[in-house]
This record gives sequence, C-alpha cells and structure tokens, in this order.
Amino acid sequence: MKGRLRRAAGDPVFDRYRDTFLSGSSTLYPRIAVYAGSGASHSWIWFADILERLGLFDVRFIDESSVKNPGLSGFDAFFIGGGDTYETASSLGEDGARAIEGFVRDGGFYFGSCAGAYLVLSGVDLEPFTPFNLIDGGMLNTMAAPPEPRCLEHKYKSAYGDGWVFHPVYGEVTLALRYRKAGLRVNAPIFGGPVIGEALPDEVLAEYSGFTERAAYLWPRREAEELMMGRAAVLRSKLDGGDVVVSGPHLEHPLYPAANAVAADVLQAHCAERPRRVIKPSRSSMSNGDAALFLKEIKRQVSNARIVGFGLEKMPVAWQLGRKVWEPEKIRMFLECAWERLPFLEEHAELMDPSGELEPLANGYANVTRFSKSLKMRIESGQDSQAEASGLLLPLKELTARFLSLYFRLRLETQFGRD
Amino acid sequence: MDTMYYGDTLIVDLPSGKTEEVDFGPEMLTDNGPGLAAGLALYSEYESDDPLVMGSGLLTGTTAPASSLGFVLGKSPLTGKPAVSPLSLFSGAEMKLSGFSMIVVRGDSPGPVYLWLHDGVADILDATELWGRDTWGTTDAVRAEMGEHLVQVVSIGPAGEAASKLASYSINYWGSGDTAALGARMGEKKLKAVALRGLGMLDAEGPSDCYSGGKELLAKSPAWNGFNKVSSGLGAGDIDGWLKPLVHRYRSCFACPAACNTFVKYNEKPSVLESTGVEEPGMLVTGAASAAWLLSGGWKAEQACRAMEAMARTGVDLIRGARELARSPLGDSGGIDGAVGGLSGSEQAGWPGAGASPESLFGPWAPPLAAEEEWLLANQVGYVLGICPIYLLASGVDTAGLFGLCPAAAGIELDSSRVAGMFS
Repeated sequence: MKGRLRRAAGDPVFDRYRDTFLSGSSTLYPRIAVYAGSGASHSWIWFADILERLGLFDVRFIDESSVKNPGLSGFDAFFIGGGDTYETASSLGEDGARAIEGFVRDGGFYFGSCAGAYLVLSGVDLEPFTPFNLIDGGMLNTMAAPPEPRCLEHKYKSAYGDGWVFHPVYGEVTLALRYRKAGLRVNAPIFGGPVIGEALPDEVLAEYSGFTERAAYLWPRREAEELMMGRAAVLRSKLDGGDVVVSGPHLEHPLYPAANAVAADVLQAHCAERPRRVIKPSRSSMSNGDAALFLKEIKRQVSNARIVGFGLEKMPVAWQLGRKVWEPEKIRMFLECAWERLPFLEEHAELMDPSGELEPLANGYANVTRFSKSLKMRIESGQDSQAEASGLLLPLKELTARFLSLYFRLRLETQFGRD
Repeated sequence: MDTMYYGDTLIVDLPSGKTEEVDFGPEMLTDNGPGLAAGLALYSEYESDDPLVMGSGLLTGTTAPASSLGFVLGKSPLTGKPAVSPLSLFSGAEMKLSGFSMIVVRGDSPGPVYLWLHDGVADILDATELWGRDTWGTTDAVRAEMGEHLVQVVSIGPAGEAASKLASYSINYWGSGDTAALGARMGEKKLKAVALRGLGMLDAEGPSDCYSGGKELLAKSPAWNGFNKVSSGLGAGDIDGWLKPLVHRYRSCFACPAACNTFVKYNEKPSVLESTGVEEPGMLVTGAASAAWLLSGGWKAEQACRAMEAMARTGVDLIRGARELARSPLGDSGGIDGAVGGLSGSEQAGWPGAGASPESLFGPWAPPLAAEEEWLLANQVGYVLGICPIYLLASGVDTAGLFGLCPAAAGIELDSSRVAGMFS
C-alpha cells in the first residue's frame, strides 16, 4: 500500500467504529454482501478497503445469480457501487429487484453509491429500472440535449430514454452533512453519480456544497454550481424494517476517510438497533500440503500481470464495455487489491483448501497474465483490442471477487476463531 | 530497522535449478556494510561455489543524484580474482526493486537458463530458445515474453556463451562497463540472462527526510550532456564533437543529473524525431572509454558507432574491443562485422593516454580523473552507496551530502573512512 492510501487506511477516524463493531456488546456484527456482478465496474473493491478498516470481515462478494438465488436473506447489509446501471438492472431483473426489496423490508441495510444509487431511486423509472424503487428521489442531471462538455467527453453522458444523464463535474466535491452538527463538511469524489432531486427533506443526510481543486468541470463552473449546490447528495430512508442509503459521490473511496466515516455512521446506526451476533465460519481443518505452492504461484502470476498492467497504463487506449468506459489502469486496481492482501494469505496457509480454493485462483491469475500480454501485443500492433479487453477485465473482476471472499473469510476466522 | 532493502537474500542454485531465500538479518548490513560490502561478504560465504553475486547500493533507486548503480561480483576469468562490474542505466534500480536484497548465483546449470526476478519472486526459466541469440535478440525476446519493455535484461551474447575472455554482459542492448569478463562467467554457468522488474517501494528509516534530502541534493548537483566532461583532462579528444553529426538525444541513467549516454542515429537522419519505421535507427553509446579509443584510433564516428553496436550485440567488452579495433581504422563500413569477429582480446581495459589501470577489484569503467587513491575511494563509495563513480569523479560532488542521507535511509552513519575500511 502506497503513500496517500496508506495514510488514509491508518486514519484514526476508523478506531471508534472498529472498537464498536469488533468488541461492542450491543451492536450487530453484520454479515455483508458486496455486489461484484454484471454491470459492476471496479469501484466495488473500495468497499473491501472500507469494510476492512471498520473491522468488518464477514463479507462476501456476490453476483446477480446469488442475489436472485439463494437471495440476500443470509446477509444483514448489501452494498452496490459504481458501474453500468443498465447492465446491473438488466442482469438482476425483476427477481433481483424483488430479492433486494424483500431483503430491506425484512430489516436489511442497502447502501448504493453512484450506479447503486441510480438503481433504486424512484425517479429512475424507465425499463429496466422500473422494478427497483426503494427510495423517493429523482435525478436532476438529466436533459434532452445537454450542451457539449468542456472536457472528459467519454465520461460525460449516457442515454436515458429520449434524453441523457450527464455529469457536470467529475472529481472531488464537498458535502455539507445534515445529520451531524451544523457546518460539518467532508470531501468525496463523484464519478458520474446522481444529483438528487425530489427528496424528502428529512431523508437528506448530505448535500452538495462546493467543489475542490481536484474537480474537473465538464460544464462551466457557475452552471455546475447552479445545478448542484444545495441539492441532495446522500439520502437515507426507512423501508419497513430496513434502511436504504444512496449516495451520488463515492463515500467508500479509500482515499477519503472522512467520507468513509459517513458511510460507517449510517451502517453503525443501523446495526446499533439490532442485537449483537457474530457469525463464525464453520470449517474443518485443512491439509496445507500444496497451499504454499499454490500461494507462490498466485504471487508469481499476480506479479507478472501487474508488471504488464503497469505497461498498459502508458498506452492511450480505453474500452467501452456495455455503457461503461474502462481505462487500462483498472486492470492494476484489481490486481493491487489481491497483491496487497497476499501476505495475509501466506501467513495463514493452513486455513485454506489448496485444491478447492487456491488452485482455481492460481489458474485464474495465470490466465490473467496470459490475456494481459496478448492484450498488450494487440494494442502494440495497432489492432482493435475491445474483445481482448472484455475477455480480460470481466474474468479478472470475478477472480478478484473470489480472492476477496477468501481473504475476508480468513480475516473473520482469525479474528473470531471457528465454531 | 528499515534498511533500504526489502526481501531476503536469494540463493540461486543452478545445478539443482532451485532457489532459496535466506534472511541474513540486519547484521549483514551492520557487520559488513551495505552495497558491495555486503556483496563481498556473501561472495566469501559462497566462494567455493564460484558464485556471481548481484546487488545494489544503499541509496540505489532513491532520489539521490546518480543513484543508479548496482553491481555484479564474481571471479574474473581474466585474473582469477574477484572483480566487480557495474549495473548501470536502469538495471541497478530494478535490481533494488526486484524484491531481493542480494542475489547469489551458485554453480553451473546443466542447460541454458535465465532468471526472472520480479517483486520478490524468482523464476529460473529455460533459455534453450535464447541460446545462440545476440544480446539485442535476447532482450527483445525476454521483454516480449514478460510483456513489458521496461524489464531490464542483463544478458550475454555469443561471446559470453563461448566463455570468451573478451565477453562482457550487456545491459539491455547497450553493452556495459564489465571489463572483467563476468559475461564469460555467465556463459560458463549457462546463465543467458537475468531479467529484472519490480513495482515495490523502498523502506527508509525516515522516508520523508530520505526523499526530500535526496531531491535537494539532486537539484544542486552538476548536470551535463555527453562524454566530454567524463573524459576531460585525459587527452581523449572531443568525443562529443566527433559524435555530434549523429546525435539524436542524450539520456541519463536512473536519477542522474548528467546525461552522458548519447543516442546516435546512422540508419536514418539524426534529426528525425518521429518513428519512420526504421527498426534499428542507431544505438545508445554508453561508454566514453570505447568511444575515446575509436576516436583516438582515427575511426570515423559512424563506423565507430556501428562497431560499438556490433560489439554490444555480440556481447564483447566494448572498452577492450574498441582499444584493439583502434589499432587499424577501417576503410569502409562493410568490414565491421569481420573486424569485430576477429577481435582477439589482446588489449587491456583502460583509457587512452592514461597508462595501465591499477590492479583493483574495480575495472577502469570509471575514468582516472583523480589520483589513484581518490579514484579507488570513489569506486568504493560508489558501489557501497549505489552512486555512479563516474558521476562522483566527473562532477566533484561532495560525498558528505550523500553520506548525510544514510541515517534517514537506513539509520546508519557512514563516511569515507568507514567505507574504505570495508575494503581493507
């Protein structure tokens, strides 16, 4: 972990939450699902960072098929981050929408940022979003014919019905928090999330209050301010027994501890109303004969792929997968996520199933290395690389989800022991 | 204690094809000293296996000026004694970032292999397909295999494979300052190449002070382009003026304020900036001594550069080779391959007009710009700290500033006398 990220991870703001979640006697230790399925881009891996900082290790990374069957009833909280909202909504479908709604009505906690926020806003009501309607609110960043952007054209807009959803600002914004004492502000990045209108005043947790020097203006600043300032950025609503929280900005971004704390506040408030329960994984002891070998192979292949990925980042190329633009640096974001956590796996090799858990990861990362190299060769030779990028990024996302699910199982097991 | 190195010492056992990581603890640094001092201790430890030891200096890969230096240490086939040769350009920094503090290559392999050292992972890979290729072809093939052109490839060509006493390892395409024929030792070991790449971070005792202190020193260090500053006072002639009609650009090694290395084009116009499809437009001349010998021998610049390319490709010591070629200038470019192929290795390494080089652990890669004792100390300080001794000698930079970075880097105090003591 490097510089700014390492400092953010060590921010003392997380101590209070960690103490409460790990050793508090009256707060639920939640079982958490993070959506990493179709439509999810890379930002869901930020949830891994923030949950780890909060001491929350009972985490699984799931896709749309798990949401639909067996559903979310085994979880207490469900997080969806950024990505291609159309693809996510289409993949989850009505069954997924019903599963999510039933989960919340039964007392679950839904947290959606960016695409995860659009997905459940009542005002986002065209197909395939119609079944997803968990919270009152519309999006103000829509227009039949938005003006040409000043920069970042590829990030600017997506089709929505007869018009467009557009993004006047990309980067760091300031949020005024309404649920804490007056005047408290935090910074968080917005990468295409909604500017929320028609919200119930009592449900607004934070509103847009400014831009920082880390913001890029796709609209002239004054017009962007007119559209966004004072508008809702984060909402929380009760739905029967559960809570729905949506956020335009990425409160979970790992470089923003103060924004992370806002997400932690709402999760902790939800959990504080529920009895303490820690689920310990139940597993038999495992042979660790080949674990070290497979771990070495995983390390080898992740390193190989990182080195190729670093080289890809210098290439002027991007790919459109569905409605989402992916840049080459996303490849290494997934790989770094595993690389930084590998030493923990190496320390606890005896807790993993070599053939069932580690061998598939080793094979998967070997494929990632191979596909990364062939992708790079294709770009270098001036050929179209869209298909290769898709063939690399989507399996890499799935692989990262498997890796993180394993990692969090180990963290949980070493934190609380086994039944 | 953070030591500016990370990872254990890697022991590569070529006969068995196995690797082992050994933690010698911080004592390796505190008892022996960093950089080459630790390398010499490892060499002694494994001397019976006729090892090649590779490593980097304490400040290699930092923001300190000219912190580009790594080293290869082994028994020179020329003298039968331990000798050290430089890892320059970006190979020293990648050595530091490979994830191993030092590397000891023991014994000989039964078949051709190469090492791929990356982020603390050591792979011994089959080099059968590489054996027989020149250093350019080897570098291209290894980089293609790894999928990244920033991989640093220390390789041998046909001269090293034949264990010729004229052999030298090459750093990527451009030859090296290996005047001890350690390339021949690589050939005897059937070690075709060592490929290096790491994305890690250095752990300093005081990261901020180490970073900012190095940067401050870098900002006030002398800078220049070309070779004349390096060869001034040696009577080597106007190398930069001689090369000028061919010069495309100057390039420094890692973190060096001086861009000595001179890229010359002779297969297309030097003024051409964009790629025109010419696959090999020229070469990066990295050694002032070889250029100086060819200039002094009356060679035309273009022919001399083509000859240096041929020597670098073959994996021949550019300094000794150039000295031998300087005896008889060519009439035309057509005979270059023949001339290089006919090199006998009859000449000693050295600099024009400088007399015989002192018998030393260090070869004459760094020019004799100072009295012998001072030259020796510059090499010792350079290889312990990882600072290019050519830069130390040519720039006159005050080494006190570099020693001043050591506490922030690794929590140790060093000065010239302590460094000299490591070699006594």
